[in-house]
Amino acid sequence: MKQVLTILFALLFSGAYGLQAQENVPIFSGAVAFTASNTAGAPTFQPILVPLIVAPFGDHWLVESRGEIQGFFFKQDGTTGPYNGIFAASLDYLQVDYIANKHLTITAGRFLTPFNIYNERLSPIWFVNLVDSPIIYTIGTRTSASSNGGMIRGVAIDRQSWTVSYTAYFSALTTTENLQSGRSAGGRVDLFLPHVGFEIGASYQRFLQSGDYNASGMYFTWQPRQIPLDVRYEYAHSPGGHGYWLEGAYHLASSRDTSTWLSRLQPVARVQQFFKGTPTPEDILPSANVNQFDVGLNYYLPHDVRLNGSYGRMYSTQGNGNIWNFEISYRFLFPAWPGGAK
Amino acid sequence: MKTLLLVILGTIFLACSLKVLAQPQSQTATKTSAKPASAKQSSDEGERRFQENCGRCHYPPESLSPREVKAVLQHMRVRANLTAEDEKLILKYLAP
Repeated sequence: MKQVLTILFALLFSGAYGLQAQENVPIFSGAVAFTASNTAGAPTFQPILVPLIVAPFGDHWLVESRGEIQGFFFKQDGTTGPYNGIFAASLDYLQVDYIANKHLTITAGRFLTPFNIYNERLSPIWFVNLVDSPIIYTIGTRTSASSNGGMIRGVAIDRQSWTVSYTAYFSALTTTENLQSGRSAGGRVDLFLPHVGFEIGASYQRFLQSGDYNASGMYFTWQPRQIPLDVRYEYAHSPGGHGYWLEGAYHLASSRDTSTWLSRLQPVARVQQFFKGTPTPEDILPSANVNQFDVGLNYYLPHDVRLNGSYGRMYSTQGNGNIWNFEISYRFLFPAWPGGAK
Repeated sequence: MKTLLLVILGTIFLACSLKVLAQPQSQTATKTSAKPASAKQSSDEGERRFQENCGRCHYPPESLSPREVKAVLQHMRVRANLTAEDEKLILKYLAP
């Protein structure tokens, strides 16, 4: 944990180069959040700090990092007894990017494993529509949702009405505390149709340890231009099981703005199913089939503060249960050192 | 170690709170201010590119200065495969 904190703070306070080149000033961003949950009668509380640092070096080089410091408070016996608490820290990514051109960006270091879209694009606490991650989230993102190695990505084909993007990576096995990663290789390809707001993609991962096995997945997102609706879907398959989630979120407004109190409201609904397979080492998937639905409501307050409340019902052969979540989060962003607005 | 974490959390929360209190409601005023036709056109194109690329995952952030936007867009060039032209147009939209 000390290592993670040292890296984050060293990054924040380093880089005096920016004083001479203010257009490349690093930013300090992230979020603070507090989550109160009750899963099948077991209450938990989680204060979370997610610091993020982005330091550009000219137009082509970028160093970026994100960490997570999280508290977890729970009742000693689950639903009864006094509260106990633990703190944990992890480094989500610390990567160096070289942006060669739109077709190629080369990344080295620790990065988020690019399997489907939830891990890379939707998991930050200031983006998520529902507090709980989907059940299939851990498929393709083991062992820590981060990879240590190298990655290439970019736009393979760029046309006015469609684009094809790609990502390919390799990760080495790392067992160092807070920096874990699995030995794996994989990639993702997606097709995006901007005029209809539709994206579809597929992912593949070869897990090169614990017996070598494959994980695959596909996803789509749809944002119709005419109404502020977001539809997202992911499917993932591994020997440990397979499943999908489908989520819809709708802003109560005529467009994607948040200028009135009503337009700041966003109802959300998600359904998901998981079908267990053959348990594999390091699997943290459920050990039984699960059906679950969640409904929630987001309220976007001014200044990037957001309230999120949700109710879910889980049906499983191991027992059914209600899931309640409430979260308040604040997204912050400011230059890493003071200066003018320009 | 727990004390150290609590101190760090508290310091950052305090810094964030002060920033919230100090922030004027500047974004709305900036976005609705009168602009020359060509600047308006590129801002509209920037908004379209924002919606097509960044809007797939999130809404426009509030109160960004040009200094902040440049670093954010570099970050998004990697995440969302933005082109240099996308970056330029979205910069004009977010921080005209």
